[in-house]
Amino acid sequence: MSKIIIGRYIPGNALIYKMDPRGKLLATIFFVCIIFLANNWLSYGLICLFTLATVLATKLKPKVFWDGVKPLIGLVFFTSLLQLFFTIGGKIYWQWWIFTLSSYGITNAIYIFIRFTLIILISTVMTVTTMPLEIADAMEWLLTPLKFVKVPVDKIALVMSIALRFVPTLFDETLKIMNAQRSRGADFNNGGLITRAKAIAPLLVPLFISSLQTAIDLSNAMEARGYRGSEGRTKYRVLNWSKYDFYNLFSFVILIILLLIVRAH
Amino acid sequence: MNLNTKRIRGQELRKLVLLGLVIAIKIILSQFSFGPAFVKVGLGFIGSVMLGYLFGPIWGAVGGGISDLVSSAIFGNQGGFFIGFTLTAMVGPLIYGLLFYRKPIKIWRIIAATILVTVIVNILLNTLWIAILYHMDFNILLLQRIPKEAIVPWIQMIITYFVLQALSRVKIRADFK
Repeated sequence: MSKIIIGRYIPGNALIYKMDPRGKLLATIFFVCIIFLANNWLSYGLICLFTLATVLATKLKPKVFWDGVKPLIGLVFFTSLLQLFFTIGGKIYWQWWIFTLSSYGITNAIYIFIRFTLIILISTVMTVTTMPLEIADAMEWLLTPLKFVKVPVDKIALVMSIALRFVPTLFDETLKIMNAQRSRGADFNNGGLITRAKAIAPLLVPLFISSLQTAIDLSNAMEARGYRGSEGRTKYRVLNWSKYDFYNLFSFVILIILLLIVRAH
Repeated sequence: MNLNTKRIRGQELRKLVLLGLVIAIKIILSQFSFGPAFVKVGLGFIGSVMLGYLFGPIWGAVGGGISDLVSSAIFGNQGGFFIGFTLTAMVGPLIYGLLFYRKPIKIWRIIAATILVTVIVNILLNTLWIAILYHMDFNILLLQRIPKEAIVPWIQMIITYFVLQALSRVKIRADFK
């Protein structure tokens, strides 16, 4: 169990940093749908070009994006390979037992590889150029329509901001507890399955007890400061749309129109 | 907890704050994994067990959804932002909640819950989302995922048993009841 890095935000001053997180989140979500529109080489080329432009617009080092793709690259290759050998159709080049290499399989595998990479790249752009707090605000904004189906959006927003705030704190706490237990002989990395399963309790129970205490303290503090639910409260952190979001969403609309023109019908 | 009360105060506020903290625990645990390289068992499911056991199916499911949103805000969502994964994050605690919430810990409950979660969440739903998200053949993906999902649940059952044993010993003060 090694140290994890909290947050992937990398500061910068490119145009993309000035965009509203809501616009960026919407664009990221829609990107997944738009990629379905691509179905021939020209449309894939177009969408690759768009992604490349977005990646370049962040003005960040390629290593940042490579780090985003790296943990999944093995899986992406393996998945593409499976699709390559199990998709049957078109011209058949080679066949052995249950494996078939066909023209349809080859294009399919390449398309899947491209789709995987592009979606990972766009998501990396989102998380790297936006602070976690801003992303959470944007998600809260996206959840607002759920109010009409009686979902307690304000409670969800409260829970979300508490969770976000306490991930780093509780992570430090976890490391401290682990070290404290280790100093008295606990071993988290060795032993058989059951030994290791048992080793989780000395970690989890203190963590949970300290969370119970924090919950009591924090809710008392909130009530002492006049918190009575989110009805009738003002907002200190406000998100504002600007002309940069117009660029963001406008370029997206252009992409959709171009894709609709060049895709095979 | 009542879903529709306008005012949040007292016990309910305490529960909501604790929910936020348990979600934070789930997010931290999901960053850890153990076991040999070919079958890494993530610890995130422990968070789902805690959510279901402590908050019941409905608020457990809400917590599961929030944990997915918050962890993708902090760590980014590997493989893209997709609403389907948020839904699957909700189903796990929902199943654990249905089987564990305010019920005595029994071996059969643990086995049933883990198998249900594995089949519904990990095998069916997650494979479906990946198939939809990347436009791939569902059966081929299934072929790729099944070997891992045949081993991991048994490890999860053992861990779940010890986690529930440990959690049930923690005296939760009257403030939360």
